[in-house]
Amino acid sequence: MTTPLTLASSRRSDGTPVLTVSGEIDMSNAGDLDAALNSAAGDDGPALLVDLSAVEYLDSAGLTVLFAHAPQIELVANELLAPVLTISGLAELTTIHGLAN
Amino acid sequence: MSGAAEPMSVEDGQPVELLFPGDSEMARRMRGHSWSETSMGDPATWPTSLRTACRICLTSRFPMIVWWGEELRFLYNDAYLPLLGSKHPALGKPGDQVWTEIWHTIGPMLKSVMSSGEATWSEDLLLPMNRHGYWEETYWTYSYSPLHDDDGTVRGVFTAVSDTTERVIGERRLAVLQDLGAQAGHARSVAEACQLVAEVLERSGSDVPFSAVYLRRPGTDELTLTATSPSGATVSPLPGGPGDWPLEQVLRSETPVVVTDVPERFGALPSGGWQTPPTQAMVLPLAGETGGQTVGVMVLAASAGRVLDEAYESFLSLVARQTAALVNAAVAYQLQQRRAEELAELDRAKTAFFSNISHEFRTPLTLIMGPVQELRTALAGGPAREGVLSGDRLREELDMVHRNGLRLGKLVNTLLDFSRIEAGRMQARYEPVDLAAVTAELAGVFRSAIDRAGLAFEVDCHPLDEPVYVDRGMWEKVVLNLLSNALKFTFDGSVRVALRAGDGHAVVTIADTGIGIPRHELPRLFERFHRIESARSRSNEGSGIGLALVKELVGLHGGTITAESAEGAGTTFTIRLPFGAAHLPSEAVVPARQADAASDTTPGAVSDAADPFVEEALRWLPSEEGTTADQTRSPSTSAQPGSPHVSSPHPGSPHPGSPHPGFDGPPPRVLIADDNADMRDYLARLLRPAYEVTLVTDGQAALEAVRDDAPDLVVSDVMMPRLDGLQLVAALRADPRTAGVPVLLLSARAGQEASIEGLEAGADDYLVKPFSAAELLARVQVNVKLARIRGRHTRWQTAMIESLQEAFFVCDDNGAVIEINQAFTDILGYGPEGLPYTALHPWWPGEAEDPVAHRIVAEAFEQLVSRGRGSCVVPLTHRDGHQIWVAVTFTDVADPTTGERRVVGTLRDVTAEHYLVQRETALAALSVRVSEASSVPDALTGALQELRDVWRARQVTAAVWHAEPAHHGETEWEPVLFCTDSEATWHSLPDDLRERLTELRDFPPLRPVASEADGAGITLEHPEGIMTLWIDLGQNRPFTAEDQTLLALLSGHLGQGLHRTHQLDQQREAAVALQRAILGPSHLPDGFAVRYEPATRPLEVGGDWYDIVPLPDDRIGIVVGDCVGRGLEAAAVMGQLRSACRALLLQEAGPAQVLSALDKFAALVPGAKCTTVFCGVLDTTTGRLVYSSAGHPPGILAHSDGTTELLEGGRSTPLAVRPGHSRPESSCTMPPRSTLLLYTDGLVERRRSPLTAGIDQASAAVQDGRAAPIEDLATQVMRRMTPDTGYSDDVALLLYRQPAPLDVAFPAESSQLAPVRTALRDWLNRCDITSSMVQNVLVAAGEACANAIEHGHRDAPGRTVRLRAVVTAGDLYLTVADTGRWKPPQPEVNTHRGRGVALMRALMQHVTIQPGAAGTTVDMHARISR
Repeated sequence: MTTPLTLASSRRSDGTPVLTVSGEIDMSNAGDLDAALNSAAGDDGPALLVDLSAVEYLDSAGLTVLFAHAPQIELVANELLAPVLTISGLAELTTIHGLAN
Repeated sequence: MSGAAEPMSVEDGQPVELLFPGDSEMARRMRGHSWSETSMGDPATWPTSLRTACRICLTSRFPMIVWWGEELRFLYNDAYLPLLGSKHPALGKPGDQVWTEIWHTIGPMLKSVMSSGEATWSEDLLLPMNRHGYWEETYWTYSYSPLHDDDGTVRGVFTAVSDTTERVIGERRLAVLQDLGAQAGHARSVAEACQLVAEVLERSGSDVPFSAVYLRRPGTDELTLTATSPSGATVSPLPGGPGDWPLEQVLRSETPVVVTDVPERFGALPSGGWQTPPTQAMVLPLAGETGGQTVGVMVLAASAGRVLDEAYESFLSLVARQTAALVNAAVAYQLQQRRAEELAELDRAKTAFFSNISHEFRTPLTLIMGPVQELRTALAGGPAREGVLSGDRLREELDMVHRNGLRLGKLVNTLLDFSRIEAGRMQARYEPVDLAAVTAELAGVFRSAIDRAGLAFEVDCHPLDEPVYVDRGMWEKVVLNLLSNALKFTFDGSVRVALRAGDGHAVVTIADTGIGIPRHELPRLFERFHRIESARSRSNEGSGIGLALVKELVGLHGGTITAESAEGAGTTFTIRLPFGAAHLPSEAVVPARQADAASDTTPGAVSDAADPFVEEALRWLPSEEGTTADQTRSPSTSAQPGSPHVSSPHPGSPHPGSPHPGFDGPPPRVLIADDNADMRDYLARLLRPAYEVTLVTDGQAALEAVRDDAPDLVVSDVMMPRLDGLQLVAALRADPRTAGVPVLLLSARAGQEASIEGLEAGADDYLVKPFSAAELLARVQVNVKLARIRGRHTRWQTAMIESLQEAFFVCDDNGAVIEINQAFTDILGYGPEGLPYTALHPWWPGEAEDPVAHRIVAEAFEQLVSRGRGSCVVPLTHRDGHQIWVAVTFTDVADPTTGERRVVGTLRDVTAEHYLVQRETALAALSVRVSEASSVPDALTGALQELRDVWRARQVTAAVWHAEPAHHGETEWEPVLFCTDSEATWHSLPDDLRERLTELRDFPPLRPVASEADGAGITLEHPEGIMTLWIDLGQNRPFTAEDQTLLALLSGHLGQGLHRTHQLDQQREAAVALQRAILGPSHLPDGFAVRYEPATRPLEVGGDWYDIVPLPDDRIGIVVGDCVGRGLEAAAVMGQLRSACRALLLQEAGPAQVLSALDKFAALVPGAKCTTVFCGVLDTTTGRLVYSSAGHPPGILAHSDGTTELLEGGRSTPLAVRPGHSRPESSCTMPPRSTLLLYTDGLVERRRSPLTAGIDQASAAVQDGRAAPIEDLATQVMRRMTPDTGYSDDVALLLYRQPAPLDVAFPAESSQLAPVRTALRDWLNRCDITSSMVQNVLVAAGEACANAIEHGHRDAPGRTVRLRAVVTAGDLYLTVADTGRWKPPQPEVNTHRGRGVALMRALMQHVTIQPGAAGTTVDMHARISR
């Protein structure tokens, strides 16, 4: 049994690809996230917007996947995830939307 | 300044050419200078004095300066230019601008001249100058004189400068030479002299920056570096350079050499304080004493600041000469010293010679004077010994007188020869002889003596082709001396005389296989008066002059004598005589003697001079039957030197009329020790037949004879080979067995000193040679009589001591046993034959085998030696090895004769008594041990220790074999082991011990089985089977019959004791089991901590109780109650109430209901009335607590914010006070992280203090500990509340903290992460912490769990991981434990694991990762923010 995680790909009206993630990300399902990111990201189009607003838990396994895709993605996060994104240094590599500062 | 003061009149209006005359550079410059523009103004306006000064200055060849005006403007001449250096041109500048750097010195001087008008000067200023192409050390003296203007006011200063370099340097060099001169007479060695020179030169670095002294090793051309300045300077030639100092060249030529390429040879030498290192040096010979060899070479470097001119060279030569003088003085001093020592040595040798020669004279003199005196007395009809005038005896006496006369004569002749040689008056007659024949004949004279000594004698003298010129008399002395010498020092082997021609010489060798000469003595062998102290010789006679005479005599023949020797192997003397007569004084050479020319002897015959040599030699040897005077010698006695001759009075021919000194019983026995056979015979003749005489030839033999069988008196010569008389006395006195033997010393050394020396050594009497027969007899008689009187006392004493029943002993000051009696031998087995017994005595128990016994004896001995009196009981070892116990009593006394301290003591065998006491003591001790024990194992452990102590055993081991084996089917029936070594297990025991313990099972109980040497075992009944026991005594100690009896006795008692203990044990176990059953739950749910303290020991229960009853839906029933009274009765009531309460709670009754029902129940139970109870039901999920109290003290709730609350609701009366009355119920909610304390009044009740004070105190205690884990808190509260005298009432205490810890165990699979997270999130939410902290803790815990899953269980997935979370008031603790091993984080290999650990550390306050063999544990801690 893996931890429940929903991954939904879409595109904004401006054509930006979006991957909406909800649930919890840990080592049991980080591979799914990786796969979804691989397929959602275009080769050389605009950066993929990964929407993590509905993610309640993100651990180092998930972070590692995000780091791997850092150059191609931008993130939408929530306050719960803020410490983890800051401490890991991911916030310095990618643009993160949705946080207070 | 001479010549500068040229008088000159100056007139106004002079042209500048006249004012600044000459064509020097400075004159030109002054003329061209625009003076008007300076403060000095137009020269035409200058005062006369200035103008005059300028003229003088410019025309002088000496450096001069004019300082003018307030600014001291600077005018100077050409001669000053070099001194000014690069400051030129400075004409007309203010002085302080020109000489800025020294203005602080010269400024004030100039100012003082200006103000006072008085001249001054500065002397010998050092100024390095490059005048002659090198930087030169120069010195200058400046004078400062006032210059007045026309009004007489001082307007300027005139300075003349003079060069004082030569003077300064000359003075300095002179000081160096004086300093060197002052060292004369200080040095005691050459090295010291060189050192002094180096020290002086080190102080004189300005003139000699570097020096080195090389000394010649006397007699060689070798040079050794002895000293340098500065000290320790090392100067070595550069590789590839022109080479080293030309030392050898200087040594050879004895002429100084100037080295001008010093830097090229050596680089930079020490510079002596100057900027530039030396460039030149002189290498000079150090002349020896007048006419002597050069003693060495000296290197002196020249300062780079001075040219090495003639003056400098002569200075350096003087330094070298002074050095040589110092060295030579030291050589002379050493020489003188040596001479003084040699003279002292010669003086010592001469003194020794005279002392010896006196002995050499006195012995024969005694042997002449003694008999002559006696004969005269006899002839005069006076009292004399029987038969002195009979034919044989008369001849004997006269023979002896003759022999000793000869000996004296020989001695005198030798001395005369010597003094003639010394005075150069030896009249020699060198005649050509057949040296082979003459030598062989001389050798032949000695044949009989050498044969008699049992030595082989080889004479191998081949006739030579030409005659050799010798003085027959002298040659005889040479050969006879050497042969006599060979015989004296050779005890076995051979003496060999050989003659050969070789290398123009006749070579005679005389070789022996004797004791040899020590290597260090060889060089002094032929030294006059020098006697070699040899280990062994046939006689101690000798003047130390024989070999010296031989050497002189050979020397007179133009020959040489040498000796080679090896200690223990022999000595060979080699004489070389040149052929022909050319080397001899012609007036002393005579033709060969004609056969008839000498009427007295045939040609080549040996002269009478040989007789004394042979006679003397024969006397060193054991006599043969009929050839000596000792005709009464017992035929059976061997005749070897060193073994005593016994000569007894002739039993068949008594001397009825002999002067019998009147002794009772057998004749007294006298031992005579003398190396001179004549003296021995003479003494024997004098003493016989009144005494039984034994003769020995030296001190060593005497000592052995006395030890063997002590005589009544020892008469001994002082000078003897091997052991002399004084040493003999000392050896006799040192040994208690022989210390009492009287000794009469005979010595040739007259004088008070000698006799005191003898008496001090312990001799009883002392007789100086020559002595008369009567004198000797009188002394012998007195000494024997005295000794007999002493002996009678001794015999009495001995008899008395022997008759004692107790063992008796006497110790000397060092504790050596020197006397014992028969009883002593009976008790310890050691007899008088082994006396003295020195510590450690043989009866001491061995330190290794029995250290305790050894220590006891050592302590007793220490007391004996140090305090001298006391008594004690000690274990000793009999000669046959068995241990005995003896009571010793000892006391110290002073020996009445010697005053020496002695300790006398008695011994009694108390072995039997000792064992009786030991048995009773051991029994009592064992009984106490067993009765004190609280269990059978306890009793057994104590008993084993007791057994070990009784036997001082190494180890005692017991195996208990249960009636039924614990493990059926196992091959080995394994017993329960008890051992004094608490570490021991059945399997760790040595095989042989396991075997012994196993075998013992088959022996009947209580029958000791002792092994040969190392211990004993026994079997006895144990409450649970049989027990086998082994006592390991350690090595080699017998287990005696007494020991066996004791072991059986003790084992019997032990068996009984164990049974008794076993019964008590069982009863107690039952009681404890019962008590525990009624006390409370054995397993506590998480989050609770309890304490129980019964007031009555050893009961483990009392009237108080607590109970925790898990109920459905995460609820828990909590009860704390307190029955009236204490002890067993209260406990019985409590048990019933507790059970009833528990049953009621399990029926889902609410707290009020439970208490109401208990009211009814309690009314039926006697003693239950008035019990107080707190009963509550807690919902652990919500923290809601419903409770009711039956007169119980209120619960205390401590909040996480530091406030407390009392649970005072739901209160009513104690149980059964108002049965049927309905009880109230109250509720509260325990907020997250709050702590609940329930207790009985024993915790808070204090005499003379209200209960509320105690409750406040308890509230404070639980509040203060709100941050501590719950178990720690329980301990803290109990400790803090303990009254000074301890709790006087039962105390029950119960603590709970909300929420209870979370404890999750899950399989190590990643799918478990989400559910675990959910559980943790729920728990965290119950802890009331912020959502962001919840998230942080979740991530940190998640990382730890992920690590545990990923790494800890990589190889074994599905194993268990455990997460535990505990909260206190302000802190959160998480522990994640797995059973695997983590890898250390390696970010470069696995970034995301490294990231995980980093996250943990960032999110929590404190993280420790503890890898261990059993698994990895992660502890995390976070502080909860308010």
